[in-house]
Amino acid sequence: MNERFFRQGLLAVALAALLSVAAGSGYAGNLVIWIAIAAVLASTLRFVLLIGELNFAVAAFFGLGAYASGAATTLWQLPFGLSILTSGVVALLASAAFGYVTLRVKGPYFLLIGFAFTEALRILYTRSEWLGGNSGMVGIFPPAVLGDYFPTFVVAVAGALILLLARIEHSHLGRVFVAIRDNDSVVRSVGIPVHAMKVLCFCIASLVAGVAGALQAFSNNVISPLDFSFMLSTFALAYLKVGGERHALGPVVGAVLLVLLASVAQRFGGSEQIFYGAAIVFGVLFMPDGLTGWLARRRTARAKTALPSPAGEMQ
Amino acid sequence: MLHPAIRHLFRTSLVIACSAHVGLSMANETIKLGLSVPLSGSGAPWGVGAEWLCRKAASEIAESGGVKVKGQVVNFECVTYDNKYNAAEGAKVAQALVNKDDVKFVAGSIGTAPVRALQSLTERKGVLLFTTAWGASIKGTNYPLTFTQMNTTIEIAGPLTGFIAKAHPIKTVALLNPNDATGQETEKTARKAWEAAGVKVVSSDWYERGSSEFQPVAAKLSALKPDGIDLCSTPPADAGLVFKELAGLGWNGVKIVEVGTGASGLIATGGNAAQGVYLGAAVSLDGPTVTAHQRALDDGVRKATGDSINAVQIGIYDAVYALKAAMERAQSTEPADVAKAMSSVTFTSFYGNKSGFGGKAVYGTPQQMMLPVIVTQLKDGKLVEVARIASGEQR
Amino acid sequence: MQTLLQLFFTALQIGAVYILFALGLTLIFGVLRIVNFAHGQFFTLSALIVSVAVPWFANGGSPVWLAYTLACLCGVIVTSALGALVYEVGFKRVERDMTGSFILSAGFVLMIEGVFTKLFGGIVRPVPPLVDGNIDVFGISVAAQRLVLCGVAAALTLLLTLALGGTRFGKALRAVSIDHQAAMLQGISYRRIGFGGFVAATAIGAVAGALIAPVAAVSPTLGDAYLVKGFIAVVIGGMGSVPGAILGGLFIAFVESFVGFYFDPSVASLAIFVLVMAVLLVRPKGLLGHE
Repeated sequence: MNERFFRQGLLAVALAALLSVAAGSGYAGNLVIWIAIAAVLASTLRFVLLIGELNFAVAAFFGLGAYASGAATTLWQLPFGLSILTSGVVALLASAAFGYVTLRVKGPYFLLIGFAFTEALRILYTRSEWLGGNSGMVGIFPPAVLGDYFPTFVVAVAGALILLLARIEHSHLGRVFVAIRDNDSVVRSVGIPVHAMKVLCFCIASLVAGVAGALQAFSNNVISPLDFSFMLSTFALAYLKVGGERHALGPVVGAVLLVLLASVAQRFGGSEQIFYGAAIVFGVLFMPDGLTGWLARRRTARAKTALPSPAGEMQ
Repeated sequence: MLHPAIRHLFRTSLVIACSAHVGLSMANETIKLGLSVPLSGSGAPWGVGAEWLCRKAASEIAESGGVKVKGQVVNFECVTYDNKYNAAEGAKVAQALVNKDDVKFVAGSIGTAPVRALQSLTERKGVLLFTTAWGASIKGTNYPLTFTQMNTTIEIAGPLTGFIAKAHPIKTVALLNPNDATGQETEKTARKAWEAAGVKVVSSDWYERGSSEFQPVAAKLSALKPDGIDLCSTPPADAGLVFKELAGLGWNGVKIVEVGTGASGLIATGGNAAQGVYLGAAVSLDGPTVTAHQRALDDGVRKATGDSINAVQIGIYDAVYALKAAMERAQSTEPADVAKAMSSVTFTSFYGNKSGFGGKAVYGTPQQMMLPVIVTQLKDGKLVEVARIASGEQR
Repeated sequence: MQTLLQLFFTALQIGAVYILFALGLTLIFGVLRIVNFAHGQFFTLSALIVSVAVPWFANGGSPVWLAYTLACLCGVIVTSALGALVYEVGFKRVERDMTGSFILSAGFVLMIEGVFTKLFGGIVRPVPPLVDGNIDVFGISVAAQRLVLCGVAAALTLLLTLALGGTRFGKALRAVSIDHQAAMLQGISYRRIGFGGFVAATAIGAVAGALIAPVAAVSPTLGDAYLVKGFIAVVIGGMGSVPGAILGGLFIAFVESFVGFYFDPSVASLAIFVLVMAVLLVRPKGLLGHE
């Protein structure tokens, strides 16, 4: 079953990449880029949920990746591929250090440490003149050779990353992570180093988030500290919740839905905020398992009897 | 499990692809003017006011016969999006304006980070950009299509500090700025200007926007006992709180908000402590020289935002008229032609002066709208104009 | 010495608001095990209502102090009503679900703040203080309004502690926060306690907002900065712990006061974030947390 799943997954990514060529490089193409990056971000959040932790610092590592690429491209004139690699490495090293120190803390406390870290980094960026300070860093352009196909590139990379995360989730390592979430004492009793495993999970997720940050830097060409505030982590969480946490496609669905919604809401001017907030509230209240969970329930209900089961039960 | 998702993705992609090609072919009569401004959060009044003024200018122009280009009558239509004051949203707004709505002229953009995101697209796509963003790096020969629509700290700092140094015997000044893009730009210029006016800058501090607790920093400033305190680009409401704390601590020197844009926020939070404050980017609509037209515009902005008109919003109004003048001079609606004509065009600004674009010495090309530096002072709860220093290059 | 005393008093004044804020947050977490990110909006609404109501009452002919008191009452009542509504419509369905409640509250923040901006406009409104002027305490000049705020904060904290220890409702709250299933077995209605706790927390936040209105910049975004600091205070002190909330609030206030004076407020904010990480690493459940 797993092998078929991944072959289908690869096919889906290839198809999405091909379709994004049709979107072109104008507004639609950029819409596709935003959706892809949002999907990756939400997927990394879901990945860390495997060990049972809500990673609110995802915006911090996303931002580190973006600034790393920005600095690599504009300050050190590194080529494109090397810049993206730098982003991944910087995010990996930072997350290893951060994770090693903080993953002893759990639940809402880990959430807050992530929050504090994100905001502390944001303030640091604003006070760093060499990174452009509050005005941001400009001139981060992808190589001309990609030209109009940059959206396709982003979709391909994003799809590959999401598939990678899903692959790890279904491997032995993924099962260790889930076991840690369920009962880490049992895992420890079998001789597996629990802390090291948690840090590993965190690092993988942050590496992917860092690469996503690099993609954002290249697609927007300008990055500023306010792009990477705790609100970004909140939105990533919203994509995940609205899409559904249980299925690997949940974050993708959530990203597609909410990014498109934001684009539609843009023309409402000042009411955009109200509309978007209402959508999130609606999503959480009426679809607590997200859209994929709701769809899955409809499917099993239809398979069982003629009567569909009510969505949104009490816990 | 995958199939409905694939179908979903396919359908969405089709929709996206189709909508990318659905663009109303523009009739010759209406040109869209884009605005990238904050419409939510603390910058909302600026954005809402800017939008109102854009619409007002467009309707005034339509009433007076429109813009006459090549024998045809052209009118303006304003398209506004919320850039939420950060680069990522600014990039999204840029995409919406330039790629989705095919806007060729941006009549106003507020916020340095989102403006830079916008600029990186507009220069590449040949779109003319007006901005209120400060920072010399946003203009220059590399950005031929960018123009600044209000006085920046570079234009204001020199005249203002010179005026105050002459009017008061101050030797030392302390600076306070919010930790944002405007603050960082302003601090640099303010420092230089004060030093040039012979006043020593004894300290320069930063605070995070959104904070309401100014007691510690007020205590710090007061302990230094400077002759004057310049709050640079601190928003008027926060400035009022700072001055109130300072008054409570017994400090009584010269109060300046170098690029302060309005008095009502100051009075709201500062009360009596805000008396005597000098502002460098505010407009006084209480004097004898105020025209009925200016008052009408102020009333309109007041109804839309709850606060009086300020220089940031006026910049959008002036930009629309500048565009009209440049289009008529160039007899073309192509951004490149209009930009070329912009450097030699003249038009009447909100302030009543004959304005154009200058600043070649500072920026390399004439991209700065020439407006008078208006120094105002709060006297008895009213904003009074105490000096109007015309731009040196004005014809 | 004078400076130190000044900074000490400043810290107490700043801390008063943070404590009230944190009390509300910690109460909600203790009873419902949820994180309410939208707490700042209740705080803001109260301040906004006061800023609108005071001129309205004053113009109707009431003396300032009466206008102010009535306005405060209005603010607290309306805000509590909003809290009740938000609970019934939303939080009731996500109790004990941390992720879900967090996202829900984030959605509410966007919605409510947007509505405030539409209703009240983005500008800052003046609010005349209940008591004007400064008072000299040990040679330090203190704004009278802020002293009132401190007094009320102390009184409320005392009241809350007594209520939690003495009254039936208070004991029920504590029981539910220790073990909600055992509490239900004892016949305590979780629904009613949850509702009561949420509204009480909202009311406390509303009082804080109403009192700070004269000395702060009242706009729809007023609560955002306080929310962040309040959240930090709660977690430092230990979620669900009332003495923890007090400790956390004071901790942050002292850092803000002293670091803000010797460096600047921006560095103070940075310091708070770094310190919170340090505290949590040494005491992973907060200083007084018990979970």
